[in-house]
Amino acid sequence: MEDLKKLIKEAELDFSQCKSLSDLDHTKAKYLGKSGPLTEAMRGLSTLSKEEKPKVGAFINDIKQSIEKALLYRKKLIQDEELNFQLESESIDISLPGRKQSQGSLHPITISMNRIQSLFHSIGFDIATGPEIEDDYHNFTALNIPEEHPARAMHDTFYIDKNHVLRTHTSPVQVRYLKNNTPPLRIISPGRVYRVDSDATHSPMFHQVEGLWVDERVSFANLKGVIQDFLQNFFEDESISVRFRPSFFPFTEPSAEIDMSWNDGWLEIGGCGMIHPSVLSQVNIDSEKFQGFAFGLGVERLTMIKYGINDLRPFFTNDIRFLKQFEN
Amino acid sequence: MQVSKLWLQDYFNESIDSVDLEQVLTMAGLEVEDIQNFSDLSDLIVVGEIIGIEKHQDADRLNICQVNVGDKEPLQIVCGAPNARLGIKVPCAMVGAKLPEFDIKKAKLRGVESHGMLCSEKEIGFSEESDGLYELNSDLGVGQTIKNALSLNDTIYVLSLTPNRADCLSIMGVAREISALTQIPLKAKDIDQIESSFKSKQNVVVEDSKACPRYCGREIRGIDNTKKLPAIILSRLASAGVKSISPVVDITNFVLFEIGQPLHAFDSKKISGSIVVRKSKPKESLNLLNDQEIEFTGNELIIADDKQPLALAGIMGGELSSVEHDTSSIFLECAYFDPANIAGRARSFGLNTDSSHRFERGVDFGRTLNALNRASELILKYCGGEGSDIIDIASNLPERQPIAIRTKRVSDILGVDVSAHDVEKILKALHFDVDKNGDDYIVKPPSYRFDIEIEEDLIEEVIRIYGYDSIPAIQPVIESNILSANDKERSTFSIKSSFCDYGYDEVITYSFVDKEVEEKLHENSNSIELQNPIASQMSAMRSKLWGSHLETLTYNINRGQSQVRLFEIASVYKKNKSVFEEKVMLSGLAYGDHLIEQWSEKKRQINYFDIKGDLEGISINSLEFRVPESSNPKALHPGQTSELFHNEISVGWLGRIHPAWQQHYELTSNVYLFEVTLDALIHKKVKKIDIPSKFNPIRRDIAVIIDKKISTGELVKAIKNEAIPRLVDFYPFDLYEGSSIEEGKKSVAFLILMQDTYKTLADQDVNKIVESILVLLKNKFSAKLR
Repeated sequence: MEDLKKLIKEAELDFSQCKSLSDLDHTKAKYLGKSGPLTEAMRGLSTLSKEEKPKVGAFINDIKQSIEKALLYRKKLIQDEELNFQLESESIDISLPGRKQSQGSLHPITISMNRIQSLFHSIGFDIATGPEIEDDYHNFTALNIPEEHPARAMHDTFYIDKNHVLRTHTSPVQVRYLKNNTPPLRIISPGRVYRVDSDATHSPMFHQVEGLWVDERVSFANLKGVIQDFLQNFFEDESISVRFRPSFFPFTEPSAEIDMSWNDGWLEIGGCGMIHPSVLSQVNIDSEKFQGFAFGLGVERLTMIKYGINDLRPFFTNDIRFLKQFEN
Repeated sequence: MQVSKLWLQDYFNESIDSVDLEQVLTMAGLEVEDIQNFSDLSDLIVVGEIIGIEKHQDADRLNICQVNVGDKEPLQIVCGAPNARLGIKVPCAMVGAKLPEFDIKKAKLRGVESHGMLCSEKEIGFSEESDGLYELNSDLGVGQTIKNALSLNDTIYVLSLTPNRADCLSIMGVAREISALTQIPLKAKDIDQIESSFKSKQNVVVEDSKACPRYCGREIRGIDNTKKLPAIILSRLASAGVKSISPVVDITNFVLFEIGQPLHAFDSKKISGSIVVRKSKPKESLNLLNDQEIEFTGNELIIADDKQPLALAGIMGGELSSVEHDTSSIFLECAYFDPANIAGRARSFGLNTDSSHRFERGVDFGRTLNALNRASELILKYCGGEGSDIIDIASNLPERQPIAIRTKRVSDILGVDVSAHDVEKILKALHFDVDKNGDDYIVKPPSYRFDIEIEEDLIEEVIRIYGYDSIPAIQPVIESNILSANDKERSTFSIKSSFCDYGYDEVITYSFVDKEVEEKLHENSNSIELQNPIASQMSAMRSKLWGSHLETLTYNINRGQSQVRLFEIASVYKKNKSVFEEKVMLSGLAYGDHLIEQWSEKKRQINYFDIKGDLEGISINSLEFRVPESSNPKALHPGQTSELFHNEISVGWLGRIHPAWQQHYELTSNVYLFEVTLDALIHKKVKKIDIPSKFNPIRRDIAVIIDKKISTGELVKAIKNEAIPRLVDFYPFDLYEGSSIEEGKKSVAFLILMQDTYKTLADQDVNKIVESILVLLKNKFSAKLR
């Protein structure tokens, strides 16, 4: 019996030597297996008397339970160790960069255009477009700029032939749209325009947004209100104010240059005015019943102000190092 | 236009110093573009008097002058000018003075010390050339700076005038405007008449009175055109940016800038017979004052004599009849030419003169005689001689029409209440004739206003003077209609955003390219060309974007980029007979590494399928990539090009750049180019939505051997067209060509996905479907199961 009792110590010692679960399994058989000493002892119970049987039986069971307890204890220990080992071996350098394709970028002009369109859309402006190769009539004559008018010299026009030019402004869309639609109406028309000019602040191709609002009562003061509201929202700065400066466009009367307050000064950002009655009569709109305003904004100009860029050329050089800074 | 402040002041008794001219003029629509100091002459250039002169012993042409500059001791200055002589006053640049071309230093000339330099008109900036010292008026006190003595201490306002404001192309015009804006009264300066000494015998015929409604002139005899004009006239001219030529010409220029009326002087001895104002005849020619020989078209208004053209009316005189230094009698012309008959003529000869600039915008026809008298007065005063009576031929002069202005309309248009009283006050200050008509007015603009025709023009005048700053910013009140939004279309912006998500950068390139790029790369031999391009490489409107994009690619490769993916949405242009067609294209390219270099992925170059995959994703599978049915673009590799179709219409191309072009652009690795008409990407497919089956799909794989030349896509299309029931998907997932396959063949493995909505498919059903597919492939493509 004492031999059996020693068995607990032996098993505890043996188990603690085991390094893995399979080792432990193997060692477990030595004590609890079919040919192990405890099974042997159980078998010997049959030779004992009725009185001794339960006593000895209980004794053997106690020993068995002690060994099983030791076994479980060791098993848990090994499992914990193995998990710790796995976790450690599986750890990675999470500071390495993620796997990726590089992200593309929208052109800054697109970003501005989109912003302009959605701001005007929010007060009900539709979008209209027109051709870039424009005929003389729509680019000039219909806008009250007859042939040989000195105002044509203001435009530095690219000519394709006697009757066709690259549009010098988005204003021809006014005429095309008014011809096919009846007031009240409000549209903006974004797009490419062209002038024979090239330096740090002039590009032979640039972008304008034309705006047009014709209704029974919409005034010069409303024009100022819309422009100011737009600029405050475009730049997200409610302190921006707008200054109108008298100017001359043959297709508006009165006409104004639009200046925007910026850093204690004024920046010119476009031109505007009340639509000239002769433009309205070209498209058969009664100027006694309807009146309206038109404006043209320089998209590059707004973009340069927004991002603090003072050179126009990078917009068309398309250096990827420039473009990538405008995240989508 | 350059406006001298001192010259402006001549028109006011009251000082205009307190007026912020920059602000006042700019806010009235006469934009002040720049403000300059008139002269940057050194204060060390002073009035000096030659009080002693002796010949230099070692140099014939040099004189040693003693010059009094107001100091105790005179300065000794060695001078080579032929007109240096005792008693004259001249500009004297003292040691330390900076002149445009050199600085004055103490010097020794042939052994004699010289402490400065005596100056000509050229050094003062009055003329281009001069042949001697500038002899100053003897009244000028010695020692004072030349800037003070010649009133060069002046401020120049550079005005950028809009073409409607011809009335402000003179000092008088600007002064008139300032008076209206500030209520400072204008000084009257008009000269109504000067005494005539004889009756002119010059015959004048105006043949085209529509083009020349008024022609005035007078003869002046016995003038001396070598006299010096007073400094005040030369400095005024210099302030306007004009150099001195000869007294008569200088005086006509002076009146042009003073009053805005161009004049022309003919040497009357060079006129043969009558002066005729007429249209030119084709082939007639004229040698202009600037040495330009022009040939007329028959469309120009000219001044001629009995023999030949003398001047291009209102634009420039001719060489032959021009006034020279020895001219002793002149015919002084002062006319009103109709703007429509001058406009464009100067430009058609590449000219833009101070005269044409004014005549084509409109010259005050009410001041013709005043201007003629003003010029005559100055010529008689400074060149001597005697003037004839005035020849004045006038008919068809424009008449200003009355225009009604309604006070209520003013407020309606402006959105600001302007009282009838203010309307009247403003229009009167602008010298309009104003007749009251209830709350409204009947208005007649003055003869110098060519830009006032309708009520709106008057409204602009009212608000211009009332002040644009008084216009409030008022939000309009609108009906709150929801704007329609088309759900069947994608926005261009969302397509652009997709490209960005796939790693493409958006570019914007010029719409014009080199004609050669258009012809060779874009294969367009009928390109639309600009008549006046900025440069030859920007002369043709592009029919494809590839040329621009390859250029952008090269630019970026040269700056170290190893991966470039870019796209652009822009119009392309084509000429179809005489019609110009524009179409919006989406175009772009991909170059270099498949991914940006990174530790976790093996580096490789992009290939066709990378870009095809991008386009499939971005287009939401609305494009079909077919073996080209049209002829392959020459820019692309014939074996790696697909033609893109949308709804059975060819809409674009994707392909690898042709090796010849790759070499042309010196590209070391492959480029893939693509283009699609934007319309094909915008239209969304309207899809029927299916509820997924509860049962799992069953997958079978097959590998078939087919001829290498058969495209896999045809097999897929054939099976899909068959619409086999329960077949959910069929697509290739592996491709093998190699030693274990017969030469000229390839093995393609397909994945077959099958499903029934109501039950799990039994083996026999599955086998039936697979079998039918195999039969079909065998019959159509002689495919063998591998």
